[in-house]
Order: sequence, then structure tokens, then C-alpha cells
Amino acid sequence: MPRYRIEFRKEGMARFISHLDLVRTLERAMRRAGLPLAFSRGFNPHPRFSLGAPLPVGVKGEREYLDLELVTALPEDEIKGRLNEQLPGGLEVTRVWSIPGDAPALMATLEKATYRVDLRLVRAITPEDLRKIIDGLLALPEIIITRRSGDKKEKTLDIRPGIHALSGRVEGDRVTLEMCLAVGSRATVRPEEVVQVLAERFGLPVADEQPGVSRTGLYCGG
Amino acid sequence: MFELEQVLHRVQKPARYVGGEWNVVRKDWDKTDVKVAFAFPDVYEVGMSHLGLQILYHVVNSREDALLERTFAPWVDMEGEMRRRGLPLFTLESHRPVKDFDILAFTLQYEMTFTNILNMLDLAGIPLRSEQRGPGHPLVIAGGPCAFNPEPLADFIDLFVIGEGEEVIHELLDLYLELGGHRLDRQRFLHRAAAIAGVYVPSLYRVEYHADGTISAIEPVASGVPARVVKRVVRNLDRAPFPVKPLVPSLGVVHDRGMLEVQRGCTRGCRFCQAGVIYRPVREKSPATLLQQADEIIRHTGYDEISLVSLSTADYSRIQEMVRSLLDRLEGMGVSVSLPSLRVDAFSVALAREVQRVRRASLTFAPEAGTQRLRDVINKGVTEENLMEAVSAAFAAGWTAIKLYFMIGLPTEREEDLHGIAGLARQVLARGKEMGVPGNRLRVTVSTSSFVPKSHTPFQWEPQVEMEELRRRQRTLRGLLRGKGLVFHWHEVEASFLEAVLARGDRRLGRVLEEAWRLGCRFDGWSECFDFEKWQEAFRLAGINPARYAYRRYAYDDLLPWDHIDAGVRRKYLVLEHKRAMEGKATPDCRTGVCPGCGLCPTLEIEPELLERVKENASG
Repeated sequence: MPRYRIEFRKEGMARFISHLDLVRTLERAMRRAGLPLAFSRGFNPHPRFSLGAPLPVGVKGEREYLDLELVTALPEDEIKGRLNEQLPGGLEVTRVWSIPGDAPALMATLEKATYRVDLRLVRAITPEDLRKIIDGLLALPEIIITRRSGDKKEKTLDIRPGIHALSGRVEGDRVTLEMCLAVGSRATVRPEEVVQVLAERFGLPVADEQPGVSRTGLYCGG
Repeated sequence: MFELEQVLHRVQKPARYVGGEWNVVRKDWDKTDVKVAFAFPDVYEVGMSHLGLQILYHVVNSREDALLERTFAPWVDMEGEMRRRGLPLFTLESHRPVKDFDILAFTLQYEMTFTNILNMLDLAGIPLRSEQRGPGHPLVIAGGPCAFNPEPLADFIDLFVIGEGEEVIHELLDLYLELGGHRLDRQRFLHRAAAIAGVYVPSLYRVEYHADGTISAIEPVASGVPARVVKRVVRNLDRAPFPVKPLVPSLGVVHDRGMLEVQRGCTRGCRFCQAGVIYRPVREKSPATLLQQADEIIRHTGYDEISLVSLSTADYSRIQEMVRSLLDRLEGMGVSVSLPSLRVDAFSVALAREVQRVRRASLTFAPEAGTQRLRDVINKGVTEENLMEAVSAAFAAGWTAIKLYFMIGLPTEREEDLHGIAGLARQVLARGKEMGVPGNRLRVTVSTSSFVPKSHTPFQWEPQVEMEELRRRQRTLRGLLRGKGLVFHWHEVEASFLEAVLARGDRRLGRVLEEAWRLGCRFDGWSECFDFEKWQEAFRLAGINPARYAYRRYAYDDLLPWDHIDAGVRRKYLVLEHKRAMEGKATPDCRTGVCPGCGLCPTLEIEPELLERVKENASG
């Protein structure tokens, strides 16, 4: 059955739709678009599509991915056009391309994500200050944090191995950080965890304000 | 909106406050003559499951000269952030402050949302009491089932709509524009509005009390104001406006499917049921209309399930034919159909089986009372045989869990009725075992609520059973329902008590509501938020004894706090039904063609709109 990989953006107010609700929203848009969806078997058939790593609520997604199976092939442009007509504000398909039927699942292949974080500081710092702070973090062999996921218990873990890259620039009291972090079933590091370490252990004077976070890309291993 | 953005990151389920849903309607504010904010006084997930919201959204937005935007009660965490930052209550469509709208319309679905109404007014920056509001404040109106006893809210609401709103909302908007829009003279508007059928303006009535505190009179204070306000009923439901492009929530909601209203009203005449009275007469829509609407809803929403909504869908005259055509049409699209409530009989189960492709784990029936005697008292015509047939059909079809709804505290209830509940549950369990349902899956859940006497029903004169006694009965049942495969659910008696107080209340409760809100009462219908001690304090501060409302037994000729609201049904009929209840006599379903004489049809000059008359009383 024809398989497609779809790249889309999630921004504006759509950032606040949770992962589960995003799945529902996408499914309904696909139904409205009249796409020849392939359905799973069993008591509760649902359309066969799957998303990659969940995007946290509130984070903008510039290049998110989903894999979709149809029963009949359609031109990529048409899939893109028909979907975009049905997507609510803040969601937009940017690219669609065919992938082989035996391509591994997104969830299994994605290992890294890049993020951009825009922060305001309580006072201005210099580029030199910022460089020292970032280098400080990167020099650490391990960074132990406690993380609570949902209502589950807290767990402690070392996030250093999951921080693949970190850089930034500053202009007065505004900082933009670019980071490449682990994502996926084996390890995940959240951008706000990195910001918290920079603030609490390296003195980045972050203001008490929600930073603007965007996931700029998702990558396979290597 | 930077502030809103900041706040959204700090609260649970931020999608509740964001809007932007599929089929949302955003109009040009400056080009629209009248702006209505529809306020559902509970959280988004509850409000977006309400069909009335979708209907009114559609009706008002269909007018070129009007717009309607939505607002819901912010959850406790969001309220905290809003107060901290001075963010006023806003609508989802344009994130505009609610106080900028011309009309603020609340829906009164449940008495336990009344403090949310006050809280929303306060969060909006609108004075709570009608007399404190003036030009520059929106008109505050309300409608819905609780408007049939609107008195506890009389101080806070400018105008109530009694009955169905689809048509009267147009009349109100037309009047609003006729009198000059937001520059109008409020008193003049309210006076003219009072002359519209179905509109109740509380400030134009005076309530007087006897020395002993009972009501001696409820009278209009001006001419042109009717002594009794008669409810509005939509005629020809088949042609009435119905939303085929409903808003598709961006968040999982209680009822996450397309809703198709099959009929309105119910003919069964169960004596405890207020909905059965206030939505009379029954009006069915034609199968052709329903198919058409189902089609359009699917096309415009992408839902994979349509729910056939009404008070008793299995009673729809042509249910089999309609369901078959619907399934034929929808199956090809991968869309399933669901029935929200089932009648207690095998027919209903057969229907459910045919219809529910996705077998939800449990099937629910509502026998309501544990013995035939008590069921006849409440006119719930379900026999033990019906129930056993129904559950056998359910087990045979593969269901393994059955949920049974009962009420405790019904008038004339005795110890054996409680034993009857347990007996029925055990019988159902035994039948399941007999039919080979695996022991680890077989489950019978008994879910009980406490009876609350409601206005405009034959039981409106009855007191609620006292809290201590209700608690004792719950204890008894708990003892009787111990064992493998049995689960017992019950409701907090204090919450049921408060519901009874508000359901039977008069305007003197306005002070109590305000105190309760001031003390921090919100979301009283949510057990995690309900705080009975605060309510007790509120009653103390207002100098009101709540027991006088919940536990009062009225005489037939007492003046009831809601007597000036007319649900269309004759008092004589309700009295007769009450007497028959006390004698344990059942009254037939009016669909059978035997009219029990409630008086509604001649009063409203209407008739039940049925596709077919049923020949004999179908079981259940």
C-alpha cells in the first residue's frame, strides 16, 4: 500500500493542542479531505498513520513528521493541497513525499531533535558571558536532574549524553539558544531542562517568563 | 495577546482557552450590529459536549447582523493566573473581554454551576447584581432547564428564556436592535422583552411572604407583564435550524462525536423526570432529514461516530428503518453510530448491537427503582422480565459488564426497595454466570444517585429524604452489594442536598449564592471542589435554613416558588399523577394514542409530532 511521509508545521494557537488531540485533529482532517485512508483491522479500526516524537504542548514545531498509508496512490501535491484545505489554523503541511512500504516507522528511527529557545534575561550579558556559561555546561561529564513525567513518580537521570550540541547568541537582555537533543523511545532531553541547568548551575540570569521554544528539526540517528 | 500566551504555558489543558477549532465562526466585530457572548458555566470539555451551544452558535451566527462567541468557566488554575494578572474573562473566538459584548447569555444546565455563573461575572468585571449594572455593561440573560425555576438567580440575571431558545433568541435580538442597540434604555428593553412569549424578567415581579416565611404572592409589578410566563416550544422540529457544521473541539471532550438530534421530548411520563415535562410535546424528525443531516455533519467534521441524541431514542417511531438506512449510508465511510441511552428491553439491546461497531465495555440501563411497586410509583414502566431479557441479550451479544442506574430516596421508598436493588443486581450477575461470561470479566455496577424533587413534576411537592437517612440507606446498600463482580457507586449526600435546595429555592437564596461564591465556592458539581462547610457558612451568613427548602413537603394548594413559570402542563394533571403515584398506579405512554390529559397540547395549541402512532404500549 502506498506510503507517504508528510512534513508539517504546528504553530500559533495550535501549539497548545496536545499530542493525543493532534492525532484526533489530523485524523478528522484526513477524513474531511476524503483521502483514501487505509484502516487497521479489528474492533476499532482507525486510519493507519503515525507520528514521530511527540511535540510538547506549547512548543512550536517547524518540521514535524507523520507517515500515512493510503489504499490508492495519489499525487503528493494533491495530498498536500487537500489536507491543507482541512487543517485548522496553526497546522500546515509543507511537504509530502512517497516512501517505500518497508521504510522503518518514524517512532523507531528518529533520535535527535533541534530546538531554538528565545529567552529574556533580567539583565544584559555579553557574548563572552554567554560563551562561558555554555562551555561550562558542555564541559561537564554528567548532569543529573530529577524529572517528573505526568503523575508518575520522579526519576533521576543523566541528561549530558543526550545534549549533542548547544550554542547561543545574545543581544542585550535577549538570548537565543540552539540545541540538538536526544529524542525518541530510548532517551529524551527537554529544552527547558537544559535552560534550567544553565540558569541554576551556571547563572544564566533568566527572567521569570515563559521562553519561546521551537522544534526546528527531527533527525534519524547518525 | 502576550499575557494570555504566558498564562497558557502554566495551566493544565491550555487548549481549553485557545479557540481556533474547525468550523469556528469569526466575524468582523466592527461590521456586526449585535454581539453575543455565550457562557457555559463549566469547563470547555463539558460545555463543548452540549448540543444547545452548537444550536445557538449556528442560529445566531447565521444572522448577518449578529455574532456569537463562546466562553467557558476557567479551571481553578487558570482563574488563579487570570486574577493574578488582571486578565478579564474572554471569549475563545477573538480573545476579547466578555464585558465588551452587548449580551452575555448563560445556559443553566445544572444547579451546581450557579456559583460558576457568579464567578464568571466577576472575572469578566461585570457587577454581579442586575441592579448594579447599567449602560456600558452587557445585558445578562439565561436559559436552559434550570430556568424553569429561575428564582435563586433572580438577583443576578436580567432576563430568563423559558423553554427552547432557537426562535425567541431572534425576537430578543430584533428587539435589541429596534430599541437602539447598545445605546438602548435597559428598563425599556426589559419591559418590552417581558411581553415576548417565554421571556421572564425577574425584576418586573414582586414576591411576598407570609409571616412564616412561605410565599404568599408572586406578581407582576407593571402592565404588559404576564402573570405566568409560558415556555417556548419549537414547532416543526424537522424544519428547525440544526448545526450541520458544528464546532469540532480541539481537545478531547466528554462526548467526542457528531451529535444528531433525532427528536425532542419524551412521552413516557416518568414522574421524577423534569426533562420529560419541560421538553413536551414529543417532536420527531423525519428519517430523510436525519439522513441528510448525518451526511452533512460527517462531511463537515470528519467525525468517525454519530450519536443519535434524544431523551429516549429507542422510542422514535421509525427507529429500525432509520438506523438501518443510516448504517447503510455511514458504514461505507467508516463511520459508526451510537445510542447514548438504552431502554430496558431486548429490542433496545438488539438495536445497540446492530449499531455499536465499537463495543464499549459496559452497557447501561436505568431501572431507577428496585421493586415493581416502586417502579409503578415513579411510572418507570420497566419490569423485572424486561430487565432480564435485556441483560440476557447483552450477554449473548458479548457484553460482559452491565451498569444499572438507580435512585435512592424516592417517595414511598422502603427497606424492601433497597433490597430489591441488590436483588436485581445479583440476578443480573447470576444470569451472566449462567450464560458463561468469564468470571474475571463479568461485572455489574450499581450506580445510585439521591432523588432530588424537581419543579414541574408530579413529585414537586415531595421533600427530599434527609441526609442522615440517605447515608444510612447507602450503607445498607453497600452491605448488600458486597461480593465478586459487584460494584457500588453513590453520590455525596451533601451535594444532593444542595442540589435540592437550589432546585426548590426562591429568590432569598440569592444572598446565599453570593456569600458562597465570596467564600470561594466554585465547580460545586466536581467532587474535588465541592466544599459543604463553605455552603453551610454561607447559609449562616445569609440567615437562611436550607432544610426549609430541601425538606419541605408542600400541600397541593401552596404557592410554589416556580408557579409563575408555566411548563404547559396543568397543575391538576401533576396533582393527579402524584395521587396515582401514591396509589402505585402507572400511567400509559402518550405515544400509544391514549392521552392522559396533561393539558399541554391544548394550552400550547400544539400536538405531538410523531411519524407513526404506536399501536400498543411497547415494553419498557
